Amino acid sequence: MGFKHSIYWLSKATAFSAPQNAGRLWIKSLYRLSRTAYRGARHSAPVESTRRIHMGIRSPLRFGLPGGSPTVCSTAVNIELMVALVIALALFFDFTNGFHDTANAMATPIATGALRPRVAVGIAAVLNLVGAFLSTTVANTISGGLINEGPSGVLITPTLIFAGLLGAILWNLVTWVLGLPSSSSHALFGGLIGAAIVGAGFASLNLTVLLSKIVLPAVLAPIVAGLVSFLATRIAYATTKKRQRDGFRVGQIFTSSLVSLAHGTNDAQKTMGVITLTLIAGGLQPANSSPQFWVILVCALAIAMGTYTGGWRIIKTLGHGITDIEPAQGFAAEAATAATILASTHLGFALSTTQVASGSVIGTGIGRKGASVRWRTAGRIALGWVITIPAAAAVGALAALVAHFGWWGILFDAVVATLIFVAIFLISRRSRVTAHDLAHANPAHFVRPKPRGNKAKLAAAAATAAAAATRAAPAKGVEP
Amino acid sequence: MIEWSSFLVVTLGALAGGCGVVVLFSLGVRFAGPETDGSRRGLGIACFTVCALVVAVGVCLVIPYFAPFFARL
Repeated sequence: MGFKHSIYWLSKATAFSAPQNAGRLWIKSLYRLSRTAYRGARHSAPVESTRRIHMGIRSPLRFGLPGGSPTVCSTAVNIELMVALVIALALFFDFTNGFHDTANAMATPIATGALRPRVAVGIAAVLNLVGAFLSTTVANTISGGLINEGPSGVLITPTLIFAGLLGAILWNLVTWVLGLPSSSSHALFGGLIGAAIVGAGFASLNLTVLLSKIVLPAVLAPIVAGLVSFLATRIAYATTKKRQRDGFRVGQIFTSSLVSLAHGTNDAQKTMGVITLTLIAGGLQPANSSPQFWVILVCALAIAMGTYTGGWRIIKTLGHGITDIEPAQGFAAEAATAATILASTHLGFALSTTQVASGSVIGTGIGRKGASVRWRTAGRIALGWVITIPAAAAVGALAALVAHFGWWGILFDAVVATLIFVAIFLISRRSRVTAHDLAHANPAHFVRPKPRGNKAKLAAAAATAAAAATRAAPAKGVEP
Repeated sequence: MIEWSSFLVVTLGALAGGCGVVVLFSLGVRFAGPETDGSRRGLGIACFTVCALVVAVGVCLVIPYFAPFFARL
């Protein structure tokens, strides 16, 4: 019950935030998925049973009934507190979403040296900020139909959203430490599934729809993007001469900016939807209304700040870890990513940005002769994708289970989550990856293995340098 | 279970868009990029221009404000 309703209303809220753009297919599919589940739920479960689900908030938040929350007065503070907590958490999720997904757009231009790392994330941040505003300025006239949806009314529990967000954030942070590009949408969805399973049981999960809307697209996205990227790379290398290929650096700036803008218009919407939904559920905003301006503003700022922080680890994996990227490859890969994302959002088959971007990088690695794809890294990334939903779901479920114990449970959740976040941050300090580490373009590493930086690196590089020197010595001896 | 027809359309659209942009930009680089003799510079610039237009269409697709204009076209 909880799952069906919460996901239903969540997706509905996200859908109403920008349905005029055909590019909301991802949200639409989420909506369809939940709608199917929701229809089943309305007939099967009585409303009373859900009152037991969310003990965190004693008064049921009810839609569709006049005077929906009769017992608000005694627990009004609690609801407001809970709403504030969920908003804070949603913004934090938005932040992690930002730095997690910078790599999709900016990994390849950074890797080829088309843009300096700081400049690249700066452009991405601005475009994400602009994108977040672009897509909701049109969304003011949206009806959405959040109210009057059935005679029994629908219950939505901020507690479940809280638990789901915890799962999503935690998984985003774990994959960030491991440097794995994984879909933030999948993490959010997984977290909510987990929280809902605790609320409504496994029966609430519509596995067929899950498979067709999330699992299969996740398999197909990298294949399509990889194919496009492979062909594009072949074309780029067949058309141009070797010395001309630096010209692609300029093109990269534009294609990666396009990907970044597309990301901005899509991803900030998710958080806006979550926050708006929570506000409506808490009775702080009338149902049927679009996101308030401050919601749009804080979401845009959160995702832009996250983007500017730069998920350097993921940028490193995508730009250097999978394959070594040259400017022509970078251009081909970004063009493939942009084309695939735009095609998927406008022609009717939702694909995840992260998976498309990763597929493009792999495709361009296969496409250039002499380049090699590190399949081990690619395999790790794929494994990360497989685990994303179950892992986020597990955390979400655990958090929801604890949250069932009322305010102490929620407090416990919050404290434990904070401790884990701090621990992850401390772990990340052990092996720092900064903008400075990525400041040198790929070819520089391989053409001139000249050690730079501190003495430890110098010593480590000495062995390879010596080996290279012995090999190069005879040739050099002849020249003068 | 899965809408294979729309998947096919997306694949073809992505192929056309992605490869189209790369073909145009590559030709531009070939004719008007660095290390060229300059004899077909005009052709190269034309390729760059068309490529820029294609990217502009992409930008307009991203920005919902422009979507109605495309629906009319």
